Amino acid sequence: MEKILLRNVDIPDSHTLAVYKSRGGYRALEKVLRAMSPEQLIEEVKASGLRGRGGAGFPAGMKWSFVPKDSPKPKYVICNADESEPGTFKDRLLMERDPHAILEGTILAAYAIRSHTAFIYIRGELAFGSKVLQGAIDEAAQAGYLGKNILGSGYDLDLILHRGAGAYICGEETGLLSSLEGGRGWPKVKPPFPATHGLFGCPTVVNNVETLASLPWIIDQGAARYAAIGTEKSKGTKLFSVSGHISKPGVYEVEMGYPFKRFLEEDCGGVPNGRKLKGVIPGGSSMPVLRGDELESVRMDYESMQAAGTLLGSGGVIVMDESTCMVKAAWNVARFYAHESCGQCTPCREGCHWMEKIFGRIENGQGEKGDLDLVLSISGNITGNTICPFGDAAAWPATAFVKKYREEFEAHITQKKCVVSSA
Amino acid sequence: MEPLKLTIDGREVTTVKGKTVIEAAAEAGIDIPHYCYHPKLPIAGNCRMCLVEIEKMPRLQIACNTQVNEGMAVQTQSPKVLEARRAVMEFLLVNHPLDCPICDQAGECRLQDYYMAHDLKASRFEERKEHDYKREIFGPHVVFDGERCINCTRCVRFLQAVTRTEELTVVDRGDHSTIALFPDRVLDNPLSANVVDICPVGALTDRDFRFKVRVWYLKDTPSICPGCSTGCNITIGAYQNRIARFKPRVNEEVNSHWICDEGRYCFHRLTEVERLTSPLIRQEGGLVPTDWETALQAALSGLSAGAPLAGVISGRNTNEEAFLFARLMRRISSEAALEVFYQERPLTEVEKILKSPDRSPNFRGAREMGVISNGGFDSWLGQLIEGKFRGAYIVGEDLLSALPEGEKIKSALARLSFLVVQDSHLTATAELAHVVLPATNFAEKEGTYTNREGRVQKLNAALVPPEGALQDWEIFARMQREAGDRVSYSTPGQIFQTIANEVPRYGGLSYLRIGEQGAQPSDQT
Repeated sequence: MEKILLRNVDIPDSHTLAVYKSRGGYRALEKVLRAMSPEQLIEEVKASGLRGRGGAGFPAGMKWSFVPKDSPKPKYVICNADESEPGTFKDRLLMERDPHAILEGTILAAYAIRSHTAFIYIRGELAFGSKVLQGAIDEAAQAGYLGKNILGSGYDLDLILHRGAGAYICGEETGLLSSLEGGRGWPKVKPPFPATHGLFGCPTVVNNVETLASLPWIIDQGAARYAAIGTEKSKGTKLFSVSGHISKPGVYEVEMGYPFKRFLEEDCGGVPNGRKLKGVIPGGSSMPVLRGDELESVRMDYESMQAAGTLLGSGGVIVMDESTCMVKAAWNVARFYAHESCGQCTPCREGCHWMEKIFGRIENGQGEKGDLDLVLSISGNITGNTICPFGDAAAWPATAFVKKYREEFEAHITQKKCVVSSA
Repeated sequence: MEPLKLTIDGREVTTVKGKTVIEAAAEAGIDIPHYCYHPKLPIAGNCRMCLVEIEKMPRLQIACNTQVNEGMAVQTQSPKVLEARRAVMEFLLVNHPLDCPICDQAGECRLQDYYMAHDLKASRFEERKEHDYKREIFGPHVVFDGERCINCTRCVRFLQAVTRTEELTVVDRGDHSTIALFPDRVLDNPLSANVVDICPVGALTDRDFRFKVRVWYLKDTPSICPGCSTGCNITIGAYQNRIARFKPRVNEEVNSHWICDEGRYCFHRLTEVERLTSPLIRQEGGLVPTDWETALQAALSGLSAGAPLAGVISGRNTNEEAFLFARLMRRISSEAALEVFYQERPLTEVEKILKSPDRSPNFRGAREMGVISNGGFDSWLGQLIEGKFRGAYIVGEDLLSALPEGEKIKSALARLSFLVVQDSHLTATAELAHVVLPATNFAEKEGTYTNREGRVQKLNAALVPPEGALQDWEIFARMQREAGDRVSYSTPGQIFQTIANEVPRYGGLSYLRIGEQGAQPSDQT
């Protein structure tokens, strides 16, 4: 398989403009500025079938087309580099090793919606990544890829790197906007949607790092080539961050539709130490866990994951072998979401911590009959009833852990102790 | 305004484009339960109590942020909605201390009301509750209990959108989220206590009112704030014949949902005084109690011999009182110089949201009733100080204490041949009088005020006056009878009918039809 996203990351000094250009970098931008209108660019991206890589999988070209052309307000493009979903570290690799691909993609997106100010909102903890990105921005500006009259085209764009203060919720599109505006990282009530009322109330597109980094190749090589990769509805390649009980953890670029089991066993070397696979979370900690015996026909694309009862999400693959206590795992995930809930709306604010407390009790031998149904009821009461998708992100894994490992949870409750001897 | 039709719970409702579901429902008399939504504040959508089911939408939607569409079908009572509402109630009570027995909000608390209406189940929460700030003093009038708080942010949004003073914000995350003052700020803007009124639970309470009385023992009376001539509509809450609190009463033509702090607490100054319970008359050695008959005769004969005559009435006297006062004084001396007490002070931008610069709620009305002279109150006062008058009748204002010219007024009053003072208590001014007549305060009166904008609004008596005092209008009427006129009023309403007949701007108004929202005379046909 030809690498699209990871095509540069292993080249020495891949983060420099010189190396990036030597690998065909900024060719797509030159092509667009010379010969394509914003509308043509949007059509090209639509034709590629590229879907947003932040987790929701919304078609990228379509998202751009929602931005009103006749708005008198400034328009903004924001590169969401707040990657904070546990088990997800693919954007970080791109930021550190191929920052110019992100920049070029961001400039293309900005051109597509006629924006003259773009932001990269980077998670505060990613200090090294922000240093690399700022270096790349400076180099690009120096070389005329940013600023006034880019490549003599008459198109102007300023690109501003903004470091977040460190909250999971600021990766949520509208939480990010609130944070960037200088407020608390509170998701906004929708409607209105960012395409019309985004940053400072102006039309805004927020795209994930990986989505934007896919664009230069798509434009350079043509939408048709990209659309030829992957499945009918899930086009192209996707990055997966693999961690946990796996022989070869790391970031992998995989063609959409690749068999999940084969990926884990062959590409990633399977579960080490002769242990059996107990479960795997395919799309970051907010996605429902799959049991080891549920993987047979699952493929790595949006539709197949959904059919299996989970989601592709951010592509954060967390592998757990048989030594893992699933109650403890559920508790750990619940604790994360309880800690990160922004507290704005009622079900998430109160429900996340409640679930965490119940999981903690069960793990510590103080579980009670009825606790499991109570967790399912709480998670059900959160799901779909909150301002932003965070509520679902906290409720889905809780529900999935209890439903898929119910016997293990019940054993904890009846035996009043953890029944999995951790190794 | 494009009209459109939708159905709510199967009922066809007509409204206009741009309205939200919660607004359209309210217009149709359907109350969708809510905490964070407030008609005068920006939408927050955080409490999730107003979730409703809308046909063709897979998820429940918040009624406060969903705009109506033609043909939309809304369910506010479907099983899915009721379950979501019950769930929100359960979540809200997870960390709530359930300290209703010592909570001032009890009896007017949305948590209590909605628990009864939408939950009524034992909590399934058996974990340890999270603790939060208790008894945080936010400012001179407001105290915060973080454990009772449901984080609806009404207070924060009020301070952003209405006063724009932004003293409060939300800090921390998750179920540790709490309302807090910004560093080095105090919640002391001139409208600060409104956050207590809009707090749907017992998180923000009024330091002046708290622990005084259970709200269900209050006798509520709709009335008008006597603080200034804005004429904010209020509800007087009284307990054991004392005022326990003022609450704003909604009137979009006047004060919307708010009142200012000065107005809210002015009843202390105006009512918590040692009351006069008998007329007083000056004899050698000072003022001594006397009966009404003697006092009124003395007052009348003293004033009749006192031309050139001056009369001043308080801006807190009603139209009915002012009307009779003007009649009486002109009956005694057609040249009598009459004025309404009036004094302005500078206002800050935040004060200007509600306050008028005066402290005379009915100065406009009293003038329209004929208590008016050339040159206004300042000129009248100048003449008084210059010794232009021989006799004076001062009603309801302690001129000596209220004005910076106190000493000059004192010597001017001392030079008068005759002074009658009518007030609820023995003021410094009254101590100089020849006759003192015990009257009532604003909370004991029925009648009308006309605000700065000319709107006629109704006062209602919340308290019973003390034995021995008379209503001001009754004193004027009795004195006029003493002077030989036939006066047959027995209620302020009857006086108002005369006003409607005789004062052109009030023509066509009817006392009964003024109602609780007041009336703008020019609106009447």
